[in-house]
Amino acid sequence: MRKSTLILPIAFVAVIVALSSVFVVTEKEKALVLQFGKVVAVKEDPGLAFKIPLIQEVVKYDDRILSLDTPELQITPLDDRRLVVDAFARYRITDVNKFRQAVGAGGIRTAQSRLDSILRAQTREVLGSVNSNDILSVDRAALMKKIRDGAAAKARSLGVTIIDVRLKRTDLPPENLKATFGRMRAERQREATDERARGAEAAQRVRAQADRTVVELVSDAKRQAEIIRGEADAKRNAIFAKAYGEDQEFFQFYRSLSAYRNSLKGNNSTMVLSPDSEFFNYLKTATPE
Amino acid sequence: MAGNNGGPWGGGGNNGGDDNRGGGGKRPGQDGPQIPELEEIVKKGQEQLRVLMGGGRGRGGNGSGGQGGQPGGPALTKGTIGLGLLAAAVVWSFASFYTVKPEEQSVELFLGKYSQTGNPGLNFAPWPVVSKEVVIVTRERTVDIGVGNRGGDAGLMLTGDENIVDIDFQVVWNINDPAKFLFTLENPDLTIQAVSESAMREIIAQSNLAPILNRDRGAIASKLQELIQFTLDSYDSGINIVRVNFDRADPPKEVIAAFLDVQAAEQERDQLEKEADAYANKKQAEARGQSAQILQVAEGYRARVVNEAEGEASRFTAVLSEYQKAPDVTRQRLYLETMEEVLGNVDKIILDSNTQGGQGVVPYLPLNELRRNSGGNN
Repeated sequence: MRKSTLILPIAFVAVIVALSSVFVVTEKEKALVLQFGKVVAVKEDPGLAFKIPLIQEVVKYDDRILSLDTPELQITPLDDRRLVVDAFARYRITDVNKFRQAVGAGGIRTAQSRLDSILRAQTREVLGSVNSNDILSVDRAALMKKIRDGAAAKARSLGVTIIDVRLKRTDLPPENLKATFGRMRAERQREATDERARGAEAAQRVRAQADRTVVELVSDAKRQAEIIRGEADAKRNAIFAKAYGEDQEFFQFYRSLSAYRNSLKGNNSTMVLSPDSEFFNYLKTATPE
Repeated sequence: MAGNNGGPWGGGGNNGGDDNRGGGGKRPGQDGPQIPELEEIVKKGQEQLRVLMGGGRGRGGNGSGGQGGQPGGPALTKGTIGLGLLAAAVVWSFASFYTVKPEEQSVELFLGKYSQTGNPGLNFAPWPVVSKEVVIVTRERTVDIGVGNRGGDAGLMLTGDENIVDIDFQVVWNINDPAKFLFTLENPDLTIQAVSESAMREIIAQSNLAPILNRDRGAIASKLQELIQFTLDSYDSGINIVRVNFDRADPPKEVIAAFLDVQAAEQERDQLEKEADAYANKKQAEARGQSAQILQVAEGYRARVVNEAEGEASRFTAVLSEYQKAPDVTRQRLYLETMEEVLGNVDKIILDSNTQGGQGVVPYLPLNELRRNSGGNN
């Protein structure tokens, strides 16, 4: 009975001991086994691992890609313009042993602040050695790679691998913003003015051409009209010449009569006649000499 | 930090506590006198545990639960043990069997090591050896950039020609490899956001303002998607960018009035040109009308002159042919008829020049007086 009563507690203690001598490292982490603060084992692969209970402890570190954002930096490129830059890095703890030694018990927080200063210094250094135009417009990939390589070399002593550094903002400082907006406005105004002027120019051209066309059309019509009139007059002359030419003497007589009739119309003329005229032949005598 | 085992181990501790309680219940029922001994052992065990676990595991609580179960604890029978085992089995299977919905995938870890990806349906992960995480895979998640997520000027970006453009876009993503997704990135949302913003700024910095505002938006969106995807793949993130919604690319609000003015100016230019065209059309139509009128008048003149001439000529010809038949008589008659008509219409003064012997009409001048008198007489 005694044995049976003891079995359970002994088993219980055994379980406890067993449980405290194994630990699991998942895919997300790496672990260090410390014995009184000294690193005795590094566990990098996921799975089950063993430690001595009580005298060894396990410290785990995140093995995923961690992020680090730098605050905005004011940098001065070669041409002395100021730029506001902000970058971010993606890094991973690759050598936990080194990492532990470098940052001690401060862990990630300490590492972050170290990396932050490394990244800042590197960003300043790389971007300070080129012209602002290269930063603003040209392919940034090369610059980012340069920053990454420099920072990675410095971060290696922390047991950290910097995977990627990217620039987010590369902007003009706020005091330059006003000037930029002013320039943009001026450019637009130039465009708008140009647009309106071109409109006015085109309109004036069209109107002038229209006016010219009007003059041309009307004068052309007048020319044709004069030609027609001339033809008409010529034809009239021809017709008269043909008709009157048949007997010229009679034409004179006939036409004179018609001219008298037409020109002495109305009672605005007074004729002083002599009774000797041929018309009055029979006014005095019935038989003229 | 130290000894802070996550995952199944916390649960394991609790379960140990449960077993302990069962054991604690079993002893007092069997042997009364030996209870104190057992209690001592249990207490010692608890102390040891506290030392071992650094006091952070809730063991002590379970232990005292075991003590509390002593005085009025249930009698230990086969039935109770059976019930306990059954309950434990039920609890265990609840913890081990899990379902995966069609839109989900699960990742199973065998002792912390990736073993397999579970498919939709019922899955079995024997706890505590295998742990699992279920991720919704097909659901599309979005990250918005430029919509005031970090102050007002988050969407302001610098173009290659040093203009500023205000950009909003949205990145839609889902998970294409749950294992990578879970084990690679510590903060996927933040990473996608940062990578997207960086990529967009990079692309915008290589382009001029005008094409960004209108014609290049499609090209920019596809280039952007490519660049984001490429960067995330380089992290081995298991994230798939579904699409990029390029919502807005506007001039910043400080200069938008100037941009609108350009549009207004374009309209105005168009209007001026249209008005000029209208004027031209009107004037030219008027001119064509006027020309036609001038020509018609001339044609009319031609017709009238020719017709009159022909009429007159044929009249003369007719008279002439009559005259040629009897010239003397006709001549006399025409003369007399004309004189009759002419003299019938005018004022006449007949003076016999022979009476004054060469003096003629002089004494009777001025003729105007004479006319007036005669008028007065009439």
